[in-house]
Amino acid sequence: MAENQEPRIGVFICHCGTNIAGSLDVQAVKEYAESLPNVVIADEYQYMCSTPGQTKIIEAATEHNLTGVVVAACSPRLHEPTFRVATSEGGLNKFRFEMANIREHNSWVHMHDWDLATAKAKDQVRIAVAKARLLEDLEPKEVEVEHAAMVVGAGVGGIQAALDLANAGITTYLVEQTPTIGGRMSQLDKTFPTLDCSQCILTPKMVDAGRHPNIILRTYHEVDNVEGYIGNFEITLRKKARGTRTEAEMKEAGLEGSGCNGCGDCAEVCPVIKPNEFEFGMAPRKAIYIYHAQVMPLQYTIDYESCVKCGLCIEACGKEKNAIDLEMVDTFEKVKVGCCILATGYDLIPIEEKAEWGYRRHENVITGLEFERLICASGPTGGHMIRPSDGATPMKVGFVLCAGSRDNTGGVGKPYCSRFCCMYSLKHAHQLMEKIPGCQPYIFYMDIRSFGKAYEEFYYRIQSEGCKFIRGRVANIEEDPITKNLLVRTEDTLLGRPVNVECDMVVLAAAIQPKPDAEPLRQMFGISKSQDGWYLEAHPKLNPCGTTTAGIFLAGVCQGPKDIPDTVAQAEGAASAASIPIHQGKVQLEPYFAQCIEELCAGCGMCVNQCPYSALSLVEKDGRQVMQVTEAKCKGCGTCGGFCPGGAIRMQHFTTPQICAQIDAFLLGGLGGEE
Amino acid sequence: MAVEKNYGNSELEKKLEDRYYYTSDSNKDFSEKVRDISGTASHMCFQCGTCTGSCPSAPRSSYRIRVFMRRAVLGLEDEALTDPDLWLCTTCYSCTDRCPRDLAPTDVIMAMRNLAFKRDIVPRNFLKTAQLIYTTGHGVPNNDVNRAARVKLGLTADPPTTHMYPEYIEGIQKIMDYYKLKENADRILSEGGN
Amino acid sequence: MAKEFEHSYAFFLGCIAPNRYPGCEAASIRTSAKLGIELVPLNGASCCPAPGAFGSIDLNVWYAMAARNLVLAEQMKKDITLICNGCYKSIWEVNHKLKHNDELRDGVNEVLAEIDMEFKGSIDVWHLAELLYDEKICGVKKVADSVTRPLSGTKIAVHYGCHLMKPQKERHFGDSENPMWLEELVEALGAEPVLYRNRMQCCGAGGGVRGYDILHSLDITNEKMINLREVGADALTEVCPFCQLQFDRGQIEIQENFGQVYNLPVLHYNELLGLAQGMTPAELALDLHAIDCSPFVEKIGKEE
Repeated sequence: MAENQEPRIGVFICHCGTNIAGSLDVQAVKEYAESLPNVVIADEYQYMCSTPGQTKIIEAATEHNLTGVVVAACSPRLHEPTFRVATSEGGLNKFRFEMANIREHNSWVHMHDWDLATAKAKDQVRIAVAKARLLEDLEPKEVEVEHAAMVVGAGVGGIQAALDLANAGITTYLVEQTPTIGGRMSQLDKTFPTLDCSQCILTPKMVDAGRHPNIILRTYHEVDNVEGYIGNFEITLRKKARGTRTEAEMKEAGLEGSGCNGCGDCAEVCPVIKPNEFEFGMAPRKAIYIYHAQVMPLQYTIDYESCVKCGLCIEACGKEKNAIDLEMVDTFEKVKVGCCILATGYDLIPIEEKAEWGYRRHENVITGLEFERLICASGPTGGHMIRPSDGATPMKVGFVLCAGSRDNTGGVGKPYCSRFCCMYSLKHAHQLMEKIPGCQPYIFYMDIRSFGKAYEEFYYRIQSEGCKFIRGRVANIEEDPITKNLLVRTEDTLLGRPVNVECDMVVLAAAIQPKPDAEPLRQMFGISKSQDGWYLEAHPKLNPCGTTTAGIFLAGVCQGPKDIPDTVAQAEGAASAASIPIHQGKVQLEPYFAQCIEELCAGCGMCVNQCPYSALSLVEKDGRQVMQVTEAKCKGCGTCGGFCPGGAIRMQHFTTPQICAQIDAFLLGGLGGEE
Repeated sequence: MAVEKNYGNSELEKKLEDRYYYTSDSNKDFSEKVRDISGTASHMCFQCGTCTGSCPSAPRSSYRIRVFMRRAVLGLEDEALTDPDLWLCTTCYSCTDRCPRDLAPTDVIMAMRNLAFKRDIVPRNFLKTAQLIYTTGHGVPNNDVNRAARVKLGLTADPPTTHMYPEYIEGIQKIMDYYKLKENADRILSEGGN
Repeated sequence: MAKEFEHSYAFFLGCIAPNRYPGCEAASIRTSAKLGIELVPLNGASCCPAPGAFGSIDLNVWYAMAARNLVLAEQMKKDITLICNGCYKSIWEVNHKLKHNDELRDGVNEVLAEIDMEFKGSIDVWHLAELLYDEKICGVKKVADSVTRPLSGTKIAVHYGCHLMKPQKERHFGDSENPMWLEELVEALGAEPVLYRNRMQCCGAGGGVRGYDILHSLDITNEKMINLREVGADALTEVCPFCQLQFDRGQIEIQENFGQVYNLPVLHYNELLGLAQGMTPAELALDLHAIDCSPFVEKIGKEE
């Protein structure tokens, strides 16, 4: 299409079934479009996004020698790509397409105002045509994609995603802030509904991840900085000072010795005892420690905040291994990856702040995760369920469901459902009845959400095993000052009687929330969070693994509460999506770049600091300084374009003449009226 | 609509009366009035039972605040307003404190009580208290034993309230008359009954 | 005389304190004075009005009557302080609601116009106990320093009552499930505060229930009495004369109706503060209490 010819615009109005046609007069808008200068064809159709609809555009483009296409329909976020393809199939450059959103911006919000909605739609079409007249051919920029990926968070979600990417031949950095991979699943005893041993089914994956040639394990690392864009992320990792070196690290550092082999001689002599975070403080660890026997990698870590630098560990380690360095400091590593997957998991809410349930005040009130550690054979009590106050075996245990979930009171309460607590409480009840003959669990619930495959059957089984269910949300829990038993008060709403159930121990199914580091992390990666605080997916139905930031994907609970099957499924989905641009090797960026009009550029450099993406720089050209855009970094935000005092910056696809034409069309055209 | 049983025997008809809930039993107007007067979104109650679980009156009576909330949601006006348990709420606000939907069941009870009063349903001694406030300004007025005690303490025989300044009582009466409170209280008390 | 007071408030009396337990009134005035707080008479005040009995009948009248009391203080240009949880609900809550709800305020002012009054929202309302606890006004240390006769050797249980701290989200006292600030004030008097089962439960009197079904209300009180006996308290203290009535006269009624005897003296915190500051039982009119307070008074200073 020749650039300097008279504009010939085609306008296509979509009915979108009754979504648009039910709220405004599509025919009238079409007739109005026909009357606009430079519009050579206007048409309307039920569903412009359908094949016949697309065909209309393609045929009209050729038949009428169009220079620009306008579709008045839904949001460009939905179908702009679709219509751009049709435009290009009609022989035009695909950027000679403009959309007027007469659905989300019109018919859907003006459902009872036929005349005004129609008039507004006419305005919208006129504005779109004004821009379409001035559209230009643009070429998307192709950039190379680094053949590498990063997964942040190494719970089961992160591990699965990393394995899938690695198996697809992609070098994958698996970054984990704690000293070991495994995450929450390592802390669980059994998993519902199969009652598999959690660590047993996880360990093969952990081992695979540990020795996979394509996985670069970066435990005890944190993401420090993120620069770049899809295909070309430059990520700075902080390697936290671990205090020990592996064999490879010894060689790298040029030190004598075979490095840490996880023997544990150091921990035996360490004089400092601290609460083990993995065991929620219910078991000790030393200042030099591993969390548990199955950590991956098997390497000790020094908690420098607690270490007293006595050096006994160095003696115990010996000159042969020489693995310990008490003076180690954090170092930084810059890596380049094409795509990233975030799988940062969850924490429990600070349930002690729901004071009515007495967590932390009453010794025998514990959380679900603490229960997991106590019932776990590799936990602090070797799998013997005991109650904290006196170590006695509990015979009557209350489970408080929805503790802090489905809670609209503000504060620590969360309005959402935490999804897996019903199921793990059923599991806990089962484990008690199995391990402690005669132990009677009471589940205090509002609903039993056993939604998944074999989950309802699991509920049936637990009830048949003798668990008692009381339908009532627990009002408060009081402690008997002498026995330390707990008096759980609620109403059995099905019976219509208030109940006061004395329990030896109570387990709170506390609500979950994102980890505290999830917030600074998402700021670094430039992704959004939803109103409930979890990471925001690109589309809740059609794109649950992606984000609106190209190249960043989500896996697991960080995107919203989910159980292990859903986490693994999402991780596989994220890995698949992330592998696409990596395997393609290149990716197209939309050409909304800033352009420097060199003749007008004074080389003042003020725009350079304005750019939030560091995409601008000053270069020497023909003996003077002018601005230059690194197109790959430019997101077309318009900050520089709007700022330049000399008007020397042109924003492609959003040029000043285009925008002014739109404004003029709106203001001077009247309410769906004359030109 | 409840099925009429014309068995010619009122005892039998009572025993076998149609107990179904029909949507025609719901008075939407009542639900809305309760919501407006109470200022809480009473229709959002999901019957979790936290309120009754917190209630000091529930363990010692048939009073169930959760059931009153259900009646508010379903618009069961007669059941709610004629239930004598309506008056067993001590307004301790424990239910309101703990309600996960951020509702105020206590205020729903107060709204229902206000509506019951409009039907002349109210404990008699509440009205007597209102009458005392009308005549003296105090729900619990002073008496001679207390006056003597006050003087012994070095206080004025009457406190510096409407007791010592009866000229303020007129204002109180005007307020109560604005809402016809005294008129209604007198009328209900003179009609006798409960 | 013309003593300069750092803080001065209009003293809202309510009904039960001045007309049944005048010792509370006298104690409040004197102990506050010793702590630099002046309590000035609020002339023409009426019943708050009783949020339970009165509010149950017609909330509109309740708003208007409470507003009238507030306007009296606005006219004095003084914040109100009071010593009763029930009055606190009426006076503080109505003040708060009218300040933040234009429609409500306009409606109330329409009524008040009939008696040439207008609610402007120019004052604040404080429970005297919170003023005593607040370091900006007094504070626990200052209370402790004013004690000349420590209540040592006594175990005192606290009944917080309901309307002061609940609903939590509409008050500013923090956690209502396990507060300890009144225990701190008790400790400041030299006594040993004791906790007891279900200590935050209602006394049973409120909402008009004491009038509507007294035996029901007494059963609630009796549950607390059983728990109090379990911990061997020498006295129960509260910050609400209505709770005081329910616990004090209530014990006689419990004896008559349920046959249970506790003989647990019940004193308002200000009465305790009065004792600790050297006021005599006569100066506190403790003889008006239904339950004899002398066993408690005699125990003071006799450590075990």
